[in-house]
Amino acid sequence: MKKFLALLFVLALCSCAFAEGEKLRDTDQLKTERLAAQRGTVGQFVAEDLLGDNKATLLTTYEKYVDAVAALRQGKIRAVIMDEMPAKRFVNEVDGLAIMDKALTEESYAIGFRKGNDDLVVSVNNILTEMKAEGVLDAILEKYYGTFLAGDSSSIKPEDIDFNKGAEGGKLYVGTEAGFAPYELKVGNGFIGIDVEMCAYIAKKLGRELVIINMNFDALPTAVSTGKVDMICAGITVTEERKENMDFSQNYVTGVKQVALVRADDYEK
Amino acid sequence: MSGRMTMRSKSYPGAGRGDILLGFVGAFLVYALWESGFFTADAWADFNRRFYQNFVKDDRYMMLVDGLKSTLFMTAGATVIGVIVGLILSVIRVAHKGGLHIPVLNKLAETYITVLRGTPAMVQLLIWNFTIFASARDLNTQYIAILAFGLNSGAYVAEIFRGGIESIDPGQMEAARSLGLTYWSSMKFVILPQALRNVVPMLFNEFIALLKETSIAGYIGIDDLTRAGQNIQALTLEHSQPLVMVAIIYLIMVMLLSNLVKRLEQWLSRGRRG
Repeated sequence: MKKFLALLFVLALCSCAFAEGEKLRDTDQLKTERLAAQRGTVGQFVAEDLLGDNKATLLTTYEKYVDAVAALRQGKIRAVIMDEMPAKRFVNEVDGLAIMDKALTEESYAIGFRKGNDDLVVSVNNILTEMKAEGVLDAILEKYYGTFLAGDSSSIKPEDIDFNKGAEGGKLYVGTEAGFAPYELKVGNGFIGIDVEMCAYIAKKLGRELVIINMNFDALPTAVSTGKVDMICAGITVTEERKENMDFSQNYVTGVKQVALVRADDYEK
Repeated sequence: MSGRMTMRSKSYPGAGRGDILLGFVGAFLVYALWESGFFTADAWADFNRRFYQNFVKDDRYMMLVDGLKSTLFMTAGATVIGVIVGLILSVIRVAHKGGLHIPVLNKLAETYITVLRGTPAMVQLLIWNFTIFASARDLNTQYIAILAFGLNSGAYVAEIFRGGIESIDPGQMEAARSLGLTYWSSMKFVILPQALRNVVPMLFNEFIALLKETSIAGYIGIDDLTRAGQNIQALTLEHSQPLVMVAIIYLIMVMLLSNLVKRLEQWLSRGRRG
């Protein structure tokens, strides 16, 4: 009997619908709402800035974007602060989500290195300059922003990316968090994504074999500063604070917007 | 069968009262599904579509299979290390207590057990990977995890063994010694074989606990079963199905192993007096 009562109690909790208040119209409203971000990302810093003193009570950080978005869909939070392109993929693939029109900030992505690893920074910068001049980088970006985000994610196969296996120059260890499509994504046994293809190109130019180490985003700075990996490439935004702990390459993607991902029925344009 | 033995078998579901509990959980699930409109044609179609996306398309179930392999590999490796370390530690502690004067070794063993049982396995794993093996880059991360889990488990196994050895009547040791065997020979040929028989079920339970504990290996970049589920989540952006599937796989493994422990207990206690 006791068990049955406990069961009823759980059921009552489950069926409790969350109360709907006023709909979201402007990003200013987010300042007093429950927000979420992936731990260690710029989305977290932006959310902290938005919330100010309320961040301790209103901000939840999750290990993975899917967790944050699940919380959003269940009404546990009002918005997820994240990068525009991954947010777009969520809107395309998951029902009932929307991105608020007004972007919160605009930044750039760069590759991170251990402080003082100047040789590698210089070589990678040269390769990036070359990739930009020859249109290689644009081609990669176009491929993923186009076909991939349009929903045809199976068209890109990990085995088509050349990791330069068995290269004589040794291995190039790159740390990433492969749950951040279109920049990096684990597919079967391999990886695809803008960052992955870019790093594969860099590794080839360096005469080294690319080895992707897939870890949690908040572990990446530790991994690069302890020398566990040579560089980290995971859609990492350059911030002043991060510059104190690691060196960055030149930007490879600019105009990256931080946006608020919300429930479509909770948003009125 | 001794009282202690029956107590152990209760610690995991799959036996006796566990079935009733499972029945309740099942009934609750059915009710929850019904309540959420799951038994409508649309919901079924949606479920099937997502199931196809998560597991069937592009052979994505292979990610779970590979994850499972990694989980089992780490668990097996860690168990071997755990049993060896645990055996050594427990013998040191028992021998010191039993009159052999080895205070330094004993203190070391004690410290080891205190430190490794006194800190979370997750923190230990991170320290092993990012501090101690910071520069070991060509080493397969799974070996680091096996070491971390194995040494951690060793501290627990040591206590299991110690309990097992101490459960043997002191008269056995006295009898062996009076027959002229040395302390170590008595330990090796008389005490340990009996103690082992007592602790085998508990070792299996430690193995089961380890199996679940390896789910934190994703933190150092190992695609174990849990992480494989998360990788599918990131791929399909769907939250519940991959996670529930992972949970079901763990549960099946644990139930199979628990059943094995139960049979093992029965087999071991056959022909035992009292």
